[in-house]
Parts: sequence; C-alpha cells; structure tokens
Amino acid sequence: MISPILRKDLRIELRSRFGVSAVVMFLLVTVTTILFSAPGAQMSSSIMSALFWIALFFGALTGLSRSFISEEERGTSFLLRLYAEPEDIFWGKYLFNLLLVFSLALCAVMFFAFFFRDFVVRDIGMFALQLVLGAIGTSSTVTILSALVARASQKGALLPVLALPVLLPLVIATTDATRITMEVADSWIGVRGDILILFSFDVAVTLVSYVLFHFIWQE
Amino acid sequence: MTNLIMKFFRSTPYHLLLGALFAVSVFVCFATPIGGSFNDVVTLKMNNVANITPLKATITTTGYDSVAKKFYNAKDLYGTEKRVLVDRTQDLKIGDVIVADCSYLPSENYFYVVRIERINPVITFPLIQGLGELGRNMLFHVPMSMVAFIAFLLAMIYSIMFLRTKNMDYDFKARASSAIGLMFTILATVTGSIWARFSWGTFWNWDPRETSIFILLLIYIAYFLLRSLLEDGEEKKARIAAVYNIISFLPMIFLIFVLPRITQSLHPGSSGTEAPIINLSGKTHTDPILTYILWTNVLLFTLLFLWMKELYTIVLRKEFSAND
Repeated sequence: MISPILRKDLRIELRSRFGVSAVVMFLLVTVTTILFSAPGAQMSSSIMSALFWIALFFGALTGLSRSFISEEERGTSFLLRLYAEPEDIFWGKYLFNLLLVFSLALCAVMFFAFFFRDFVVRDIGMFALQLVLGAIGTSSTVTILSALVARASQKGALLPVLALPVLLPLVIATTDATRITMEVADSWIGVRGDILILFSFDVAVTLVSYVLFHFIWQE
Repeated sequence: MTNLIMKFFRSTPYHLLLGALFAVSVFVCFATPIGGSFNDVVTLKMNNVANITPLKATITTTGYDSVAKKFYNAKDLYGTEKRVLVDRTQDLKIGDVIVADCSYLPSENYFYVVRIERINPVITFPLIQGLGELGRNMLFHVPMSMVAFIAFLLAMIYSIMFLRTKNMDYDFKARASSAIGLMFTILATVTGSIWARFSWGTFWNWDPRETSIFILLLIYIAYFLLRSLLEDGEEKKARIAAVYNIISFLPMIFLIFVLPRITQSLHPGSSGTEAPIINLSGKTHTDPILTYILWTNVLLFTLLFLWMKELYTIVLRKEFSAND
C-alpha cells in the first residue's frame, strides 16, 4: 500500500506540476532577492551556508505543507481514510515529501552554484551527506506537522510557527556543517559532531512521527 | 497511603507551610551577607573592578593599637592570614567572624576595613567574582528556568498518558502544566536578560542556554496557538495538541543537553568554562551553602509550580464539565 499512495501523489504532481514549480519559483525568487539586495557583495562561508539552508528550509515549508492540506481541501481525506491504513499513508506521504525535498535540494545547489561566486564546496561527499540527512529530517518533521496543521483553521500561517522550533537543531547542525565543508577539503573531523546530531535527530523524529501519525489521522 | 499523601498536598496547612517556606527562603536569599576572600579583594582591586570588596574573615589575634584604629590578624575561608585595620569603635574578640567592606592599598601590607557589615552572621554567601550582589539572582533565575523545563517534561508525559488512555483529565493536566510552564519561562527569560544586561553587558546574546529557553518559549506559544486554531471536538483538539507537545520535546533534548556542551557559552557549565557554583559532578569550588540554598529554592519553586498546576487543572476540569 505504500507505493499506491506515492504513485497517486506522483501522478497528481505530474499532472499539475504545482508542487515542484511552486518550490522552484520560490527558490528562484529567494536567490534573485538575495542577489539584488546584496549586489556583488563578498560573502563569507558562514553567510553562504546560512542563506543556502534558509532558502532550503523555507522552500520545503512552502512546498511540503501542501501534502495533507490539499487532501483536506479537495475533500479526499475521508476516502483516503477509508481505503488506506494510517501507516501506509504516512510512509507514502513521507516518501513523496522526501523526493520533493531532494529535488528542491538539487535545484538549490544548482541555483547557488550558478548565481553565487562564493558558493564553493570543498568537500563534496560530506556536503552530499548533509543534504541527505537534512532532507530526511525536514521531510519527516514537515510531513507530521503538515498533517497536524491540516486539521486546524488558518493553515498557511501556522506551519512555519510550529515547524521552526522543531527544526532548529537541524538548522544549527546543517549550517555549521556546511560552513565547515566550504572551508576545508577533508572535513570529517570538523563535521563529525554535527553529522551525529543530524543522524540522531533524523532517526528520532522519523520514529516519533511514525508512531504518532495515526493519532492525528484518525477522526 | 498515597491517598493520604495526596490529601496532605491538597490541604490548607500544606499551602500555608509552602508560603511560610517561601517567605523564609526569600528573606534568606536577600538578607544573607556576601563575603569573599583576601584574594578576591586584591584581584578586584588590581583589575580595577572594585575599590571596595566585601570580605569574610575570622579574627585570629588582636594586634597592636594606634590612636584611632586597631590592627587585627584575620583568616579568610581559604586559610590565608592577613593584617586588617579596623576602627576603634568596633570591639572585636578572637574568633569573631566579620563580613566587612574591605579595601587594599598595594603600597601597604594590611587590609583596610571601611565598614563592618555584620559580626558573626549565621550564614554567608561566597563572593562570585564579577557578580557580587548580582549573584543573588542565581537563587531565583536558576530555579525558575529549571521549573520551566520540568513543566515542559511533565506536559510531555501527560500528553503521552492522554494518548494512551484518552482520559481528558490528562489533557487538562498537560494544558495546565504548559500554561504555568509558560509563565515560569517568561519569568526565567526576564530575570535572565536583566541579569545579563548588568553582568555581561547586553540583554540578549544568543548563548546556547538563551537559545533553548527562547525555543521553549516559542514551543509553548505555538502549542497554545495550535490549540486555539483547532476546530470541532475537545477530544480531537486534545489529541492533536498532545502530538505536537510530544514532537516538540525532541528538539529540546538536543538544545538542552547536546548544544550547550559543544558550543561556547557564557553560562557556567559549558565546554571550556569551569562551573563555579554548580556542575553535574556535584563538586563545588566555593562555599556549599549557596548550593544547598539553590537546591532548596529549586524544590520550593517546583512545589509552587505543582500547586499552581493543580489549581489550574481544577479550573479546566470545571470549565469542561460546565460546557458539556
């Protein structure tokens, strides 16, 4: 049952291309805003990694919040509740969100590498690992929180408010790790602590989200 | 037996006792004189921090007289023995403990007592260099922040209990813990930032512990915002709020226990700095009396929190049954 949910979401996405195009446009707007507000400025590695992850996190919050809210808006959540088990829905949505965050991360890397002179990553492998771990943590957090927000009124404004405190360890660890990978070529010693935090946070948040999902989903 | 204990905790005598203990504690925290060592007097003078420093010392021998002053030999808490010069009007005996404003001139070989604050005090607090009288705030600020986190932990436990049993009573308790916890968080933030203004120079500087209390504040606010925006059905509302409460506990673990130990911090106990007053190993480098009073205050504030939480739970319960 996991794959049918994922397949359904992918098919809807391919039909409308709403999620991907919204996220890519969001990224493009963010990057150009940065470029126009600081034209030709020399940016340090810490500022560069902060901008990169800010763009990525807010892009994810914009794009991923749709997953449950759209079901609620189209009135299909009742049918989904009837036909599928909560666990399968969670994993399906989670995988779809994960794919979306991965494509978002790839787009962000391309945009940043294309537009910013100072976006130079010295340790590509470690940077890729951070992207993967960051994407997993973000997508599981946003999946459960968007399911939560879908049950409330004022859906749009609520998600960032709820998600920021939960995502903060991730923000701190990823920005720090990326800054280090931008500065040194062999960065394992420097980013070890951050990678450990990222990994444990991912495992914890994914498990807790999985366990708690059916409490939100049931009527 | 447990019933009897619970009955005691809800009775008026207990609340009067709690109030009386609080009054005593506040009195002790403010009235106890602070006194340092000879070394503190010298260091603060040499670094141009303070001309006059409170000193705590025991008189060992009466020295020789001059016309208006009298010399004594005195020993501080580290056992250093020095000569002190005191006004003749004060008559000190051997073995008297004095807490006095003390000054020091590098050219002379004695310490000059400006004013005797207290003779033979029951308890004294050690002087924390760089804090002085501001150090008293520790006895309120630290318990408040601890209670803020205890409240959050309790709310999380009640949320789990609610999801397991679907008993609305646990939701009232979780909500009451969060509400009173929010109050304590605000108090801890305010006392902390005022303290930081006068000892570190700015109200706020994103130190890891400040970050974690700020995030705690955000979580509490988000929790109540979420509750107010959820529609239809008290049970469903409680369920979703409980889920958020449990999820938001995860980042707190990282922020409280992991982050302060891997990044630089101005607060004592982080990596690189040695905790002067409290650390996890329970080793104190100064007078243990401050530690005892600190932990007593932590206990008192926790009891106060539990009582307030209990009262608010009763209010929520009544409200619920009135709406039903």
